[in-house]
Amino acid sequence: MMKERSLFRRTGPVLTLASLMLALAIMSVQGAAPSAPPADDASKPRADIIRIDGLKQFGKLERPAVVYLHEKHTQALSKKNKDCATCHLPDKKYMSTKFKRLKDSSKKEVMDIYHDNCTPCHRETAAAGEKSGPVVCTGCHQEREVASSWKEIGLDKSLHSRHVKAQENKCEACHHQFDPVAKKLVYVKGKEDNCRYCHLSQTVDNVISLRLTAHTQCIDCHRKRLAENKDAGPAFCGGCHDAGLQAKIQKLKDIPRLMRGQPDVTIIQAVKSGGEKVEPFARTSVVPFNHIGHETYSSSCRSCHHSSMDACGKCHTLQGSKEGKFVKLQTAMHRVGAQASCMGCHEGFMADKRCAGCHATMPRRDPPDLAGCVSCHMPKPAAATPQTEPKVMAAMLLEARKPVTATYSDEDIPETVEIKALSKQFESAKMPHRKIVHTLVKNIKESKLAGAFHREPGTVCQGCHHNSPVAKKPPACASCHGQPFDGRNLFRPGLQAAYHLQCMECHKDMGIEKPVATNCTGCHKEKL
Amino acid sequence: MSISRRRFLGWLGAAGVGTTLGRSAHAAGNTLFTGYPDSLGVLFDVTRCIGCRKCEEACNKVNELPAPSKPFSELAVMERRRRTDAKTYTVVNRHENVPGAKGPLYRKIQCNHCLEPACASACFVRAFAKNSNGAVTYDESVCVGCRYCMIACPFEIPAYEYDKAFTPRIMKCTFCHPRLIKGQLPGCVEICPAEALTFGKRRNLLKIARERIGLFPDRYIDHIYGETEMGGTAWLTISGVPFRDLGMREDLGTTSAPELTKGALSVVPVVASMWPVLLTGVYAISQRRDKIAREEQAAAVATAVAKAQSEAKAKLTEAMAKAEKDKKAAIDKEVKKALEEAARAKAQESAAATAAAPEKKPS
Repeated sequence: MMKERSLFRRTGPVLTLASLMLALAIMSVQGAAPSAPPADDASKPRADIIRIDGLKQFGKLERPAVVYLHEKHTQALSKKNKDCATCHLPDKKYMSTKFKRLKDSSKKEVMDIYHDNCTPCHRETAAAGEKSGPVVCTGCHQEREVASSWKEIGLDKSLHSRHVKAQENKCEACHHQFDPVAKKLVYVKGKEDNCRYCHLSQTVDNVISLRLTAHTQCIDCHRKRLAENKDAGPAFCGGCHDAGLQAKIQKLKDIPRLMRGQPDVTIIQAVKSGGEKVEPFARTSVVPFNHIGHETYSSSCRSCHHSSMDACGKCHTLQGSKEGKFVKLQTAMHRVGAQASCMGCHEGFMADKRCAGCHATMPRRDPPDLAGCVSCHMPKPAAATPQTEPKVMAAMLLEARKPVTATYSDEDIPETVEIKALSKQFESAKMPHRKIVHTLVKNIKESKLAGAFHREPGTVCQGCHHNSPVAKKPPACASCHGQPFDGRNLFRPGLQAAYHLQCMECHKDMGIEKPVATNCTGCHKEKL
Repeated sequence: MSISRRRFLGWLGAAGVGTTLGRSAHAAGNTLFTGYPDSLGVLFDVTRCIGCRKCEEACNKVNELPAPSKPFSELAVMERRRRTDAKTYTVVNRHENVPGAKGPLYRKIQCNHCLEPACASACFVRAFAKNSNGAVTYDESVCVGCRYCMIACPFEIPAYEYDKAFTPRIMKCTFCHPRLIKGQLPGCVEICPAEALTFGKRRNLLKIARERIGLFPDRYIDHIYGETEMGGTAWLTISGVPFRDLGMREDLGTTSAPELTKGALSVVPVVASMWPVLLTGVYAISQRRDKIAREEQAAAVATAVAKAQSEAKAKLTEAMAKAEKDKKAAIDKEVKKALEEAARAKAQESAAATAAAPEKKPS
């Protein structure tokens, strides 16, 4: 008995280790993108639905467009050891994405290509006693709805980084530029752009659409690497586009910084419409920008650099230019609701429960509250000289405003506040004031973004003590709020509503469920 | 030319009737009616309502309505879609799972106190009045219990005391009119802990509503319900979700009930006042026609009779004349014959005696 127990005791760590390794192995298998499509299941939503309606370009369709399931066909062909070339012809560099042709010549010709190739293959397959496709018109030409799991895919920083590694830092494998003199695609080091800058949603002249680019260049490379038995990305529809499989794409935890000559820190450079730069030193205040800091928060460069890798001011000039669609620098930086603008992106974070308690009840004013300007717009440093380089100046300024969420020391924060101004039906409410302050500060302490905007110790207080100057001892609520429905202060709630709205709305926005708003005695005892 | 007193008064009367008819036909025509100046209202902010039912309780208390079967602290009753009834002037309903809402939403229902109330326009005994302070009030002393107001109200607010056999009344929110007169707030507004109900002049409430929508564009639908609905209501609502999702009608249009029905209703006074005159006229005319006909008939009959009589007379005369003539001729003939006979009898003496008594012969 003793022997057995000791045996188990010894096997315990071994078993644990083994199971851990097994778990890791499973995880790593799951982490890698599958290189082959999963078994076909008709009931599941699919990512390979293609509507064959190319004849639309020649006029109205005579019959319903064919709903074509691409993976069904690739799987059937692979069983017969047939590959893509069965249906796709080789084009100049890559395989054509069209079926059995390189271009759409005429309605008759394109139609015949489908009818003369699809039907015989279906017929032969059926004759061999295998599962096959339709051979009559309405078999393919019918209105049918197939549930879709298709989702757009983009190359985020993690995926890009994995490609960089796989390509052994050869950026030219994907990145290129058009040389107008030599009239060919060339690679220029340090000028790598996002694919979407040139490859738009539609093919324009010689610049093919993003869709075509991805389905030629990406798939071609994936296939080649698969053929060489190398680690490769998917070469079937769902591998990239199925929402479920997409979520399983391995995410890197530590993504190396992508270098393209960008600064670590810089001064937001204002440019006049003629292209003349506004000397930062000539201005009373400047905006230092922590570029490297922002790189970690965005999923790709495109989050901010939406149309080019240039500095914002190049297109968004002070007065607005055609290149910037006449969106001025001021608007480009401050527009709320625009994802690529500073304030637009920052405001998105305010929807977080930790921020919403205070921020959801703050009105959106245009222009915004001027007190907030100084969080970004800083007076130029005293030590700076006209010879000081912008990035040096930026570093000086950023050093001076390191993000930190500050608050007053505990002895300055009252522990409880007794609200007894109104006590008709209920006893006065004892508010755990210091606990609230501590919770608010603790919630945002880790956030650098919050730290950048809550550096003054009184800023957090302003969540409740609003509309009055920042102060260690702010005015009491009753200083402004009194009787309700005051015709001279139309927009000011009465004292009772001011308290209730402040507490209840903050609790609601922060997801604090107790006490329930309708539970009066949760905050104040009933008078007996 | 002289005018008789009677004719002058006749003209005056016609002119008076003409002006009255003209005005009633164009009432509320091409003008924008925005209610009594400085009339009061309430702004209900759906985003602020916490669903405590305090307003229901206060309403019940200040209006001395019968106690409900379940206490007002029972919040589960809000799960059922309730409406106002003869014992309840206001209800708050809970709306769960409204698209775009983070949690349950609450909507208060009561009389909206239209600027141009449909109930009042439908009431033919003027039991409803739109007061200058904005309240639409009801006078049970004149009500005949037709319940047209209940059908007319687009918000389905007025309720009827069906359980009272002899003194049934229409029951609806009075905007706490008696309290307003005394300078007090409506019961529901006074109790609301979160100022989900804002009380004030309607024009100020519109300003407040616009300010809130403007400062929190993501929080509110850009519409003030009641600003224009049914020509405008004293009670206004702003919400973060479409009003239809809270069971509020969005198909009411901006035209007030009286304006909608003025075309048909403007004819009513004309018909009502002119009908007796018209019928009397028709009666008089038909009477006169009958009389004339009778007279004419009598005259014709008289003429015919006279003619017939004269004709008969003439015939008789003729016949008499002929008879006379025949008689005469017969006499003459007989005389002649007798004379001849006499002449012959003279010769024969015996025949002369019979000739003296001649026999009458028919003519």
